[in-house]
Amino acid sequence: MARNKFDQDESLEVKFDLNQVKRLLKYVRPYRQKMILTIALMLLSSALGMLIPLFLKQVMDVYIPEKNMKAIIGMAVLTFLVILAVSIILRIKITLTSRIGQGVIHSLRRELFDHLQELPFSYYDSRPHGKIQVRLVNYVNNLSDLLSNGIVNTITDLCSLVFILFFMLALNVQLTLLCMCGIPILAVLIAFVKKHQRRGWQISSNKQSNLNAYIAESINGIRVTQAFVREERNTEIFNRLSGEYRKAWMSVIKYNFMLSPVVDIISVITMALIYYIGVEWLKVGNDVVTVGTLVAFSSYIGRFWQPINTLASFYNSLLTAISYLERIFETIDEPISVKDLPGATEMPPIKGDVEFKDVDFSYDDGVKILNHVNFKAKAGDTYAIVGPTGAGKSTIVNLISRFYNIDSGQLLIDGIDINSVTIKSLRKQMGVMMQDSFIFSGTIMDNIRYGNMEATDEEVIRAAKTVCAHDFIMEMDHGYQTEVNERGSRLSAGQRQLISFARALLADPKILILDEATSSIDTETEILLQEGLARLLKGRTSFIIAHRLSTIKNADCILYIDRGNIVEKGNHDELMAKKGEYYKLYMSQYSFLEKTPEMVGQN
Amino acid sequence: MTPIRWFMSYLKKYRWYMISGLCLVVVTTMLALINPYISGQIVDDVIQGGAFDLLPKLILVLIGVTVLRSALRFTFLMFFETSSQGVLYSLREAVYKKFMKEDFDFYNHHRTGDLMSRQTGDMDAVRHFVSHVIYFSFENVLLFLFALVMIFTVNMKLAICMLVVLPFTAFITYRQSKEIKPAFGRIRQCFSSLNAFAQENISGNRVVKAFAKEDFETEKFNKENDAYRDAQISSSNIWRRYIPIFEIFSNLLTVVLMVVGGYMVIQGEMTIGQFVTVNGYLWMLNNPVRQFGWIINDIQNFVTSIEKIYSTYKIEPDIKELEVPLHSERVSGKIKFENVDYYSYDDVILRDINFEVEPGQTVGIIGATGSGKSTLMNLLCRFYDVTDGRITIGRVNVKNFDLHSLRGSIGIAMQDVFLFSDTIEGNIAYGNPECSFEEVEKAAKIANADDFIRKMPEGYDTIVGERGVGLSGGQRQRISLARALVKNPSILILDDTTSAIDMETEFQIQNELKTVGKDRTVFIIAHRISSIMDADQILVLDNGRIVERGTHESLLEQKGYYYTVFNHQYGEFDEFRAHRMEERGDQNGTK
Repeated sequence: MARNKFDQDESLEVKFDLNQVKRLLKYVRPYRQKMILTIALMLLSSALGMLIPLFLKQVMDVYIPEKNMKAIIGMAVLTFLVILAVSIILRIKITLTSRIGQGVIHSLRRELFDHLQELPFSYYDSRPHGKIQVRLVNYVNNLSDLLSNGIVNTITDLCSLVFILFFMLALNVQLTLLCMCGIPILAVLIAFVKKHQRRGWQISSNKQSNLNAYIAESINGIRVTQAFVREERNTEIFNRLSGEYRKAWMSVIKYNFMLSPVVDIISVITMALIYYIGVEWLKVGNDVVTVGTLVAFSSYIGRFWQPINTLASFYNSLLTAISYLERIFETIDEPISVKDLPGATEMPPIKGDVEFKDVDFSYDDGVKILNHVNFKAKAGDTYAIVGPTGAGKSTIVNLISRFYNIDSGQLLIDGIDINSVTIKSLRKQMGVMMQDSFIFSGTIMDNIRYGNMEATDEEVIRAAKTVCAHDFIMEMDHGYQTEVNERGSRLSAGQRQLISFARALLADPKILILDEATSSIDTETEILLQEGLARLLKGRTSFIIAHRLSTIKNADCILYIDRGNIVEKGNHDELMAKKGEYYKLYMSQYSFLEKTPEMVGQN
Repeated sequence: MTPIRWFMSYLKKYRWYMISGLCLVVVTTMLALINPYISGQIVDDVIQGGAFDLLPKLILVLIGVTVLRSALRFTFLMFFETSSQGVLYSLREAVYKKFMKEDFDFYNHHRTGDLMSRQTGDMDAVRHFVSHVIYFSFENVLLFLFALVMIFTVNMKLAICMLVVLPFTAFITYRQSKEIKPAFGRIRQCFSSLNAFAQENISGNRVVKAFAKEDFETEKFNKENDAYRDAQISSSNIWRRYIPIFEIFSNLLTVVLMVVGGYMVIQGEMTIGQFVTVNGYLWMLNNPVRQFGWIINDIQNFVTSIEKIYSTYKIEPDIKELEVPLHSERVSGKIKFENVDYYSYDDVILRDINFEVEPGQTVGIIGATGSGKSTLMNLLCRFYDVTDGRITIGRVNVKNFDLHSLRGSIGIAMQDVFLFSDTIEGNIAYGNPECSFEEVEKAAKIANADDFIRKMPEGYDTIVGERGVGLSGGQRQRISLARALVKNPSILILDDTTSAIDMETEFQIQNELKTVGKDRTVFIIAHRISSIMDADQILVLDNGRIVERGTHESLLEQKGYYYTVFNHQYGEFDEFRAHRMEERGDQNGTK
């Protein structure tokens, strides 16, 4: 059962710490060489950039007074060459960083997607799908710039900071120390704000996630919304969520905006301090500073604080990114509860014997659903599963495909424990048709072929014919090439069931599971279907959950489930003769019809 | 209306924020020019000139200006951010409202993930534009113009020489804008497509797992993921050609100064001091030119996004209310279909439908899969408009009602049940959020859902997953029925709502339904004869036409489709009777 709805913030189990920044670097590692190259080029570029003022100075100080026009032009050509080099480097930088950034998020997204494919039903069932989607698409996208330009610029800035620091120290140690005393103050302020910023971005990303979830649901549920004229109310809810996002954003963005002014003010204060103390020292006339050093030093102060300012903005984006990153890592770290055991082997071709041995099962909440279930299904037979709502019928069939792990006991297919084989090799040999028939957007042909990608068009059509879907498909404007979409909105519920039925058949499964799969199909079609089906079910073990007694009656064996256990087992006649639960169920289905027996008699 | 004009209409509300923000940008840009000047004075006059007395004053100005500038900068940043968030909020609302209004046909042709991108990724480009690009471009243009004016005052000839760069810049700007736009279009397209794929994969996760198609999905995903990356990279392949050109132009100004300025000084048309002054302003000219390429990128990205948003926004639904629609608190249950035809594009879905229902009557509808049963009801709710003929409720054409009156009076339980990720109570109260818990409970009881809901760990407060994951088909159908009942509608439509419910429960539900709402018109679409046999009239649909009609008895006499279906299902009843006879025999025997 779900734990989270659209307007609830998700809690975060694992706190992010800087160790996880290391983890992030793992994704950058494949691009290490490109990264180093980019940084080297950037350093070269800034070194070249420093030449231009020098050239200009040379022109001003030497060539102009000499009225040496030739030398000036020579200098101009040289300058132009430098400019050209800088531009070429810029071009290479753009090329490299965009490849790094896009490459990193590409592989991060891929890893996230791969992991999502492995996560069991329970993960998807417990939260709105829009919240999973926002992580996979939007959150990941937000990281690209940080992981390319961010890192490159940071390292470049750090280098130039070290460089300048070196020059400053060479020039004057005392003044340098003075200049650096602004740093601890900055650090303290940053540490103070960090708490608010971290929290703020977490809230903001949560609100974004909520909004996304609500948009997704609003679109998917639009038919209900319009039928229930809830448009205005939904707009109110949407505005509330959108407003919460805005509020969260506004209250955290101000901290980001504060950082740069704070750096500016601290830098100007240290600058003032240097001037003041420097001048005091000059006045005293000690040897600590000379007029020349103080003048030279003043030009360095700006260059010292400028990289710090860009580092601060990197820090800002890092904090923002972390709030996305921790969500992404949280998903990647989500344990895969249903997975191949070490040493799992391929499931050999299934014959179709299924055995439940003392199977216990409960969902995450610990409420026991199945209690010591024991039964054997013979290959090729049809089993109908009946029983009251909530008895555990769907659960039993879901366990055969290992959609969930059993708590204890054993589940054997052809005598092989399904836990000892790979999940894929197991599920590939089963055909499952579920309660709600999901239609992917694409053509009808593609949707049926989903059951078996290798199937030819002819095979697809044959499957469609078997389930009596061919006729209505041919009546559509483009036949099998008709485009349908995920809400399957151009198809009726019965048509969708037929399509997913064809899909399940195309998989040519040895074990076929039909979970309330034909409820929306009309009687005529169902009768036709059953004729085709009778042939099809031959040689396959099938489990059918249905309410139509006609479907149930023909089964080789009927399992009556109540409160997580099989209470009766046998074919229709045996169970009717037994006059137990099944008999009661069967009789109750028709008892109310008795009021019109005379009319029935007439026919 | 153009997309930009449409966008401007939302920005208008924040024009005072924007204007004051831009004024502050002017002030801070000016202030930014003071500090280098003061620093210069400190170096020249104080340190080198020895005018030590000036220092405290200059330092105070230095600090004061910086503090003021920082404060103003913070203020204008907040102004732009406020405007941006405000515009975004209204845009999101406008688009959302439009989404709410779009008709079924629109949703048949748009993927969920695509539509979501309009509200997420595309909106983000708009946010960035209002909060950053506007002031940033303005700041740069301002600096550029300011520097230009200064250089003009120093030496007009030199300034004109520097302006020579401008036409080239303009040309490159034009080229880049033109070339980059389709690239951003592709990025938005790929983003949208990636989003749509992710959305479907997540929604369809059960099917993916059941068919063990993870590898196939991963392969498809990789294609989308690659396409997005490649679109990004190919756009960078475009702007990497232009941005370095702006870099060259920007630095070329230095070369111009070097050569032309140098020549003029040598010729005595300019002093060396003026040369130095111009050099001092050069960065204000350089930097904006350098930023040009990036600004163009941002602007084009914004334009592409707003165009995409607007192109979705401007689609008008076909289902529209009249200028002055008829309002009615509760439409009656008297319904008439007159010669109704409905075509979906070229497909004939319904043909020549005629029938009439009195308030309080029950109509049963039966027919093959895809015969048009649901469409019939969709026309009544006006989810689609009839192609020909008319549908009236209480002698009023359904097109004349406002949608709220019409749909508000109809309770529909649809064949594929969509539940929201909300509590069960919230789901049942969906059509009437203000209703009391007692009403929810009452509806649940009628729908025979109260029992199983109470058995759940958190009862009515249990959160059900999207689409009702975690509930069985029958449970979902009963919740959907309860949801329709809470509205207390004058017309109730049960569109195959009991298919996953066993017959006994269904029988109980139908009996309960009879006890409430005597004048309520009920439509029941079903495949089981037992669901509809009590109806006042039964319509049999085949291929979009009513092929048989009448009561249960009269239809049996017609010996048509209905009779055949009945016989198939009656076969089972026959067996039941045999058992029943036997049971009675036993009882008689023991007596």
